[in-house]
Amino acid sequence: MFLSKKGVTSLPICPSGSVGCQVSLGNLFDRAVKLSHYIHSLSSEMFNEFDERYAQGRGFITKAINGCHTSSLTTPEDKEQAQQIHHEDLLNLVLGVLRSWNDPLLHLVSEVQSIKEAPDTILWKAVEIEEQNKRLLEGMEKIVGQVQPGEIENEVYSRWSGLPSLQMADEDSRLFAFYSLLHCLRRDSHKIDNYLKLLKCRLIHDSNC
Amino acid sequence: MDLRQLLLILALVCANDSLSTSEVILGRPQIIKCRSPEQETFSCHWTDRDFYNVTTPGTVQLLYMRRNDEEWKECPDYVTAGENSCYFNTSYTSIWITYCVKLINKDEVLDEKCFSVDEIVQPDPPVGLNWTLLNTSLTGIHADIQVRWDPPPSADVQKGWITLEYELQYKEANETKWRELEPMLTTVVPLYSLKLGRDYEVRVRSRQRTSEKFGEFSEALYVSLSSISSVLCNEEIQFPWLLIIVFGTFGLIVVMFLILFSKHRRLKMLILPPVPAPKIKGIDPDLLKKGKLDEVNSILASHDSYKPQLYNDDSWVEFIELDIDDPDEKTDGLDTDRLLGDDRCKSHNCLGVKDDDSGRASCCEPDIPETDFSASDTCDGTSDIDRSKKISEKEEDLLCLDQKDDDESHAIPADPTTWKPNTNIQSEDNQSKPPFADSIESTSPPVRTQLSNQSSVANIDFYAQVSDVTPAGSVVLSPGQTNKRRRTQCDAYTEPAIQCQPDFTMDNAYFCEADVKKCITATSHNAVEPRVQEQSFNEDVYFTTESLTTAAENPGAAAVEASSSEMPVPDYTSIHIVHSPQGLVLNATALPVPDKEFMISCGYVSTDQLNKIMP
Repeated sequence: MFLSKKGVTSLPICPSGSVGCQVSLGNLFDRAVKLSHYIHSLSSEMFNEFDERYAQGRGFITKAINGCHTSSLTTPEDKEQAQQIHHEDLLNLVLGVLRSWNDPLLHLVSEVQSIKEAPDTILWKAVEIEEQNKRLLEGMEKIVGQVQPGEIENEVYSRWSGLPSLQMADEDSRLFAFYSLLHCLRRDSHKIDNYLKLLKCRLIHDSNC
Repeated sequence: MDLRQLLLILALVCANDSLSTSEVILGRPQIIKCRSPEQETFSCHWTDRDFYNVTTPGTVQLLYMRRNDEEWKECPDYVTAGENSCYFNTSYTSIWITYCVKLINKDEVLDEKCFSVDEIVQPDPPVGLNWTLLNTSLTGIHADIQVRWDPPPSADVQKGWITLEYELQYKEANETKWRELEPMLTTVVPLYSLKLGRDYEVRVRSRQRTSEKFGEFSEALYVSLSSISSVLCNEEIQFPWLLIIVFGTFGLIVVMFLILFSKHRRLKMLILPPVPAPKIKGIDPDLLKKGKLDEVNSILASHDSYKPQLYNDDSWVEFIELDIDDPDEKTDGLDTDRLLGDDRCKSHNCLGVKDDDSGRASCCEPDIPETDFSASDTCDGTSDIDRSKKISEKEEDLLCLDQKDDDESHAIPADPTTWKPNTNIQSEDNQSKPPFADSIESTSPPVRTQLSNQSSVANIDFYAQVSDVTPAGSVVLSPGQTNKRRRTQCDAYTEPAIQCQPDFTMDNAYFCEADVKKCITATSHNAVEPRVQEQSFNEDVYFTTESLTTAAENPGAAAVEASSSEMPVPDYTSIHIVHSPQGLVLNATALPVPDKEFMISCGYVSTDQLNKIMP
């Protein structure tokens, strides 16, 4: 499933310096949901391509049972938990996950080029995901600023330490490291997308999407 | 028994080999799929083990393990999802966590699979399909409907836990292929341009927006439009007569215009035929423009209008008869054979065309340029001229022979005043003479023209004197030189016998100057005659009219003129305009001599001219 980039062009939220310009929360959430959906589609495609090209017959899936680096963040894992969590906490968790991915995405862009005969689509998608992730983070920070103005909580995020594994000499290990990273990226992007849709329906549409 | 054991061992060996892999082997239970309809629960199904006869039934188990577990756990629910299935309810389901399930039979692993729940979401089919009529077209043929459905109840769309995408398919009731619409997020969609009077089927399926797998289709919705169109059916059946008439008329008009413009000229000719401009046959208007009066004169002299007069007024011509019915005469043409044996003739597609005075064999001479005369006339002249070359010496004496014969056989009244005796004589020799005059007549105009055109050419041996008419009725043409020689011979022969009998008894139409002169000299210029004759015979047969006329008046002068004229082409005579409508005059000079009152040459001379010549 290939996504076109329509609808994800940057919409100016507020021109810098303008006073009294306030984008509504609903608009912010709409944009955030669009971005998160886009990011998840890209990462899903990228993972599928990588899986087809490099991971066939290697049994990576069984090895990838180990969690991702964001597993330390206790995010809701089913609908009940998601409904019970407070929206502010959930927003903070979303921010934390997004922040946690800043670093890995940056390195992914630089390291994926070292994969031999990496197709251009994978390279392009990595770059795109990294860029859109930053924009989503900005949008989420705005939302959080509107939803819970006031003091900013300690930034919660989990550090990523997978860079050495991406740079391993052994190609098999290196490919497995990429596989794991892309698998985690797909999952986390789906998680974020789901959380944001949930929050949007809850906050904007009053649980009646 | 040994065979059965052998088979059992083989089966076990095969089973052992395939344990480590997940290859599909016939008869082995296999996990078909694991599916979550709403991202809250999931279930796994495996194939029936009917074909698996080796082990005892009912020992297949499904074990699962989550990411953080350390050991495999057994399926919590084998019942809810049906037979050969394992159902995981919400308490056992965690999203975004990797599950591994494996199917075992006692300790034998039959199949194993790893996944996370968010990857296996396949929603239930939508429910509550219904349709409403939006509008119908003015013609009553088409209609628009709106189809509406509800998301599957299991999917919690309202809270946003799952976002669904729908795909609608529809087709006519009797078709086999479904038409698809693009996936949409809404649960309402219009269908346009459905035909009234037909029935349709509609079905919808859904999928999670971020995944690729669709769920099952809903049940087909039956849309019956046949009951609506009863009132407006007539319009559809009607044949569009008006359209046909309009377009047909339009097409006809277009075609007519095309014809009009393409056949513009022809139509103009039909409707307004051009008035024929006055035109004299054979005259090239360019000649008139260029002022070549001489040529025009020569052309006019040979104009057809003259011919009938010649034919009509000359009494001796009336007696000329054509005898073309005698086959013997036709085949007896010795001269014809010789004439036709010329390569030149053959080279110009004259093969097989005999010289039978019909004119068909006349197109043998290529060197003579075309003139404005009719082809037949031209060809006749050329053919005759061509033939003339072929005459052998043997025939050249025919002239003399004829003379002798005539002298012997015919008691011709010496009437120099008219040509009638000649014609009479000719008529008496019907069998041999008839075609003579005609051919001569036909020859003369082309000869004249050719002479006028070819007079400048020195060495073309086209023209010949008609020296004799064979018994077969063909004309014998002899070249000038031979005639000249003949003449001398004849003259030598006949000279002593000349008694100023104008040799009208001669069969040839050409009256030799010598003969005329003989008469003239006999009457008045006897002494001069030989000299004149000799000198005149320096040239060939054709003598200038000048020489003849002057010979009549002043033979000496004529001789001088004849000698001094020195025609560059002695063999040729040019035909000048004959003022008298009753005769043609051949002029041997290359230069056209205008305004000769009467020009007599050794040839066709009219009665009047002869009268002028003769005293």
